[in-house]
Amino acid sequence: MRYAPAILVGRLTRFAARLRKPGGGSAVPGLVVNRIAPRYLTRTLSGFPQGLVVVSGSSGKSTTTKMLVAILRAHGVEVFTNPSTANISQGLTSALLERADWRGRVPGDVAVLEMDEGHGALVMQGVDARVVALTNVMVDQIDRFHDSEMVAGMLERIAARAHEAIVVNADDAYLQRLAAKAGPGVAVRRFGVSAEVLARSPRGLGYSETSRERLASDSGVVVASVDGAAAALRDGEASVEITLPARGTHYAVDAAAAYATAQAVLGERFSMATAADALSAIPAVFGRGERVNVRGHEVEFVLVQNPASYQLNVDSIEPGTEQILFAIGSDVRDPSYFWPTDASSLGRVSIVSGSKAAEAALMLAYDGVEIDRVEPDLARALDDFLAGPAPGTGVKTIVFSADAMRRTRAHLGLTGAE
Amino acid sequence: MTTLTIVSLLPSLMNTNGDAENASVLRRRAEWAGLDARVVAVGSRADLPDRVDAVVIGSGSDASLETARSTLLTMHDELRTWGTDGVPILSVGTGWELLSWGIEHRDGSTIEGLGILPGRAVPRDGRVTGDAVVTSPRFGLLVGFENHARDYVGAEGSPLGRLRSGVGNGRGSGQEGVVMGTVIGTHLRGPVLAKNPGFADHLLASMAERAGLDYAPGPAAAVADGYATAAREAQLGAVGAAASVGDA
Repeated sequence: MRYAPAILVGRLTRFAARLRKPGGGSAVPGLVVNRIAPRYLTRTLSGFPQGLVVVSGSSGKSTTTKMLVAILRAHGVEVFTNPSTANISQGLTSALLERADWRGRVPGDVAVLEMDEGHGALVMQGVDARVVALTNVMVDQIDRFHDSEMVAGMLERIAARAHEAIVVNADDAYLQRLAAKAGPGVAVRRFGVSAEVLARSPRGLGYSETSRERLASDSGVVVASVDGAAAALRDGEASVEITLPARGTHYAVDAAAAYATAQAVLGERFSMATAADALSAIPAVFGRGERVNVRGHEVEFVLVQNPASYQLNVDSIEPGTEQILFAIGSDVRDPSYFWPTDASSLGRVSIVSGSKAAEAALMLAYDGVEIDRVEPDLARALDDFLAGPAPGTGVKTIVFSADAMRRTRAHLGLTGAE
Repeated sequence: MTTLTIVSLLPSLMNTNGDAENASVLRRRAEWAGLDARVVAVGSRADLPDRVDAVVIGSGSDASLETARSTLLTMHDELRTWGTDGVPILSVGTGWELLSWGIEHRDGSTIEGLGILPGRAVPRDGRVTGDAVVTSPRFGLLVGFENHARDYVGAEGSPLGRLRSGVGNGRGSGQEGVVMGTVIGTHLRGPVLAKNPGFADHLLASMAERAGLDYAPGPAAAVADGYATAAREAQLGAVGAAASVGDA
C-alpha cells in the first residue's frame, strides 16, 4: 500500500503528458514519482525475486542488454527490462510505472537494466545488484566525459553495488584493473576476443586502453572467430556457433558479454544450445546493419553517432563496396571532432549529401576517398542513388548521421522501431 | 629528396576537436604537391625527430592542462629555437594558451605559460561556441568554428586578424588570435588548415623555402579546395543570415 498514492499520481501524470503530446512525455511521470516517493525506485529495483542485473559501459550496452534479455527469456525466466532510451533515473521510474500494478509492484523474476555510465552511480545508490556487467571504457562524448579515468571511476561505483558477480571485458585494461579490486565473495567473470580476432581488427577494438594479454579459453567466454555475421564463442572445451544481428566484431563481443552474464545469472540452469539459439534469433536494427529492400534494391543502412561508432561502422563496411551514399545532417553542428577518424577504407563514395555535405566531402577527401558527386539535397541524392543500377560488388550502402537518418526514413517511407 | 617532418605535439592529450589533424592536412597537401612528408606524433621529449619543419598543437581539456604543461616544459628550448628559426608553429585553443604568458582561472589561480607567444588567457562569462570569420592580412579570409571558455588579452599588437563575425579574443577587441613571426595561436578549432587552404599553403610555402624545396598545390588539392570553398560559403551564409536577423 505504501506506494499506491504515488503510483496513482504517476499514472495521472502520464495520462496528462500523453494528452498534451501523444506518444511522448515518457520521463515526466518518473520525475514526479521520484519527487513524491524518492525511495520507490530503489525499493522496486531491489525487490525482484531473482535479483537485479545491471549492464553498463561506454558502448555496446544496448545490444548486450537486448541479447542478455533474449537468452534469459529463452530459459523461461520472466524479465523486466528498460528501453534503452530510459536508462537514467526518471526514465527508469517511468519504465517501471508502465508495468507496475496499483501498489507499484512490477512483475518479473529478474530485472535487467541498461544503465547510463554517467547516471548509473547515482541511480544505484542504495540498490544492490546480483550481477553487474561492464562492456568497455571509451571516451566519445567529449562534452560529458573528459577522460578515461573519469569513465572508469563511474563504472567502478556501479560495479561496487554487485554482491554476487561482476562480468568484465578482459580486453579492456581499465576494466581488468577494476575487476582486480572486486570485494571478497564477489565472483569475477570475463569475456574477450582471441588473438586471431584482435589481429583481424587493424585499428583494435576502440577501447581507451587494450589489455596486453588475451583471455585464455578456460578463464572466460572467448570470441574465437568472426566471419561476417557468423561467430564462434569458445566456452571451455565447447565451441558455440552463433549468428550475429549484423556484421562486426563488436556485435560478437556484445554476444560474448551477454553469454557470460547469462551464465552468472542462471548458474546450473544455463544451457549452451538455448543461449546460442536465442542469440542467433536477434534481429538486426535499422541503421545498425539491417538490410532493407527499397525500390527494388537491397540497401544497407549504417548510422554514425560519434567518432567511435563512426570508425567501427565504417570499418565494418565490406571493402570494395561499390556504391555508397554518405549523408551528414544538421545534427552535426561542427564535424571537426570526426576528423581523427579514418575512412580511407571506403575508397570511393558515390554521393556525399546532407546539409553538411561540403564539410563531409572535405573530410573524406583528406582521408584519400574519391567522391563522384556532392549533392546537398538529400531527397534528390536518395532518389538518384536508388535509381541507378545495382552495384557489381556489395550492396547499396547508405551511411548517415541521426538527422540524415530521420530524413532518409521519411523520404523513403520507412517506418519501424528507432 | 628531403622529407618534410611535421610534429604533432601531444596528440593524445590535445586533440579533443580534431585540431591535431592540421598536421595531417599539411602532410596531405605536401604529398599532393609531389613532396615527401610525414607526421611524427610527439608525446614526450624522447619522440622528437632530428628534423622539424612544422609544429602543430591542438586543444585539450582543462583537466589535462598541468600534464600538458609539464611535458611541454621539457621541450621549452626546442620550441623557442623553432620559433626564432622560422619553423611554423600552429597552436589551437588550450595548446595556444599554454604557449602564452599564462592562463588565469576564475578562482584566481594561474598556470604559467611557456612565454613563446605574447598575451595571456583570462576568464570570460560562459563558453563561446559558434562560427567565426576573420580577415587576416597574411592569410586572407579565415572561416572556422570557435569553442573556448576564456578570452585572450595582450595580443593587440599582433593579432592573427580582425573579426568579421564571432567573439575571438573577446573583451570587445574585435580581434582573433596572435602571430609572432611564424608562431600562430588561434581559437579556430578543428582542421582550420583544410577549411582555409590559403592559410595551409602559406605555412607550406615557408616550410618548403626553409627546406630548399618548391611548393605549388597539386591537382588533388584543387578538388579538396573546391569542397572547402563550398563549406566556407555555407558557413558564411549562415553567419550572414544570423547577422541580418540580428540587425532587424
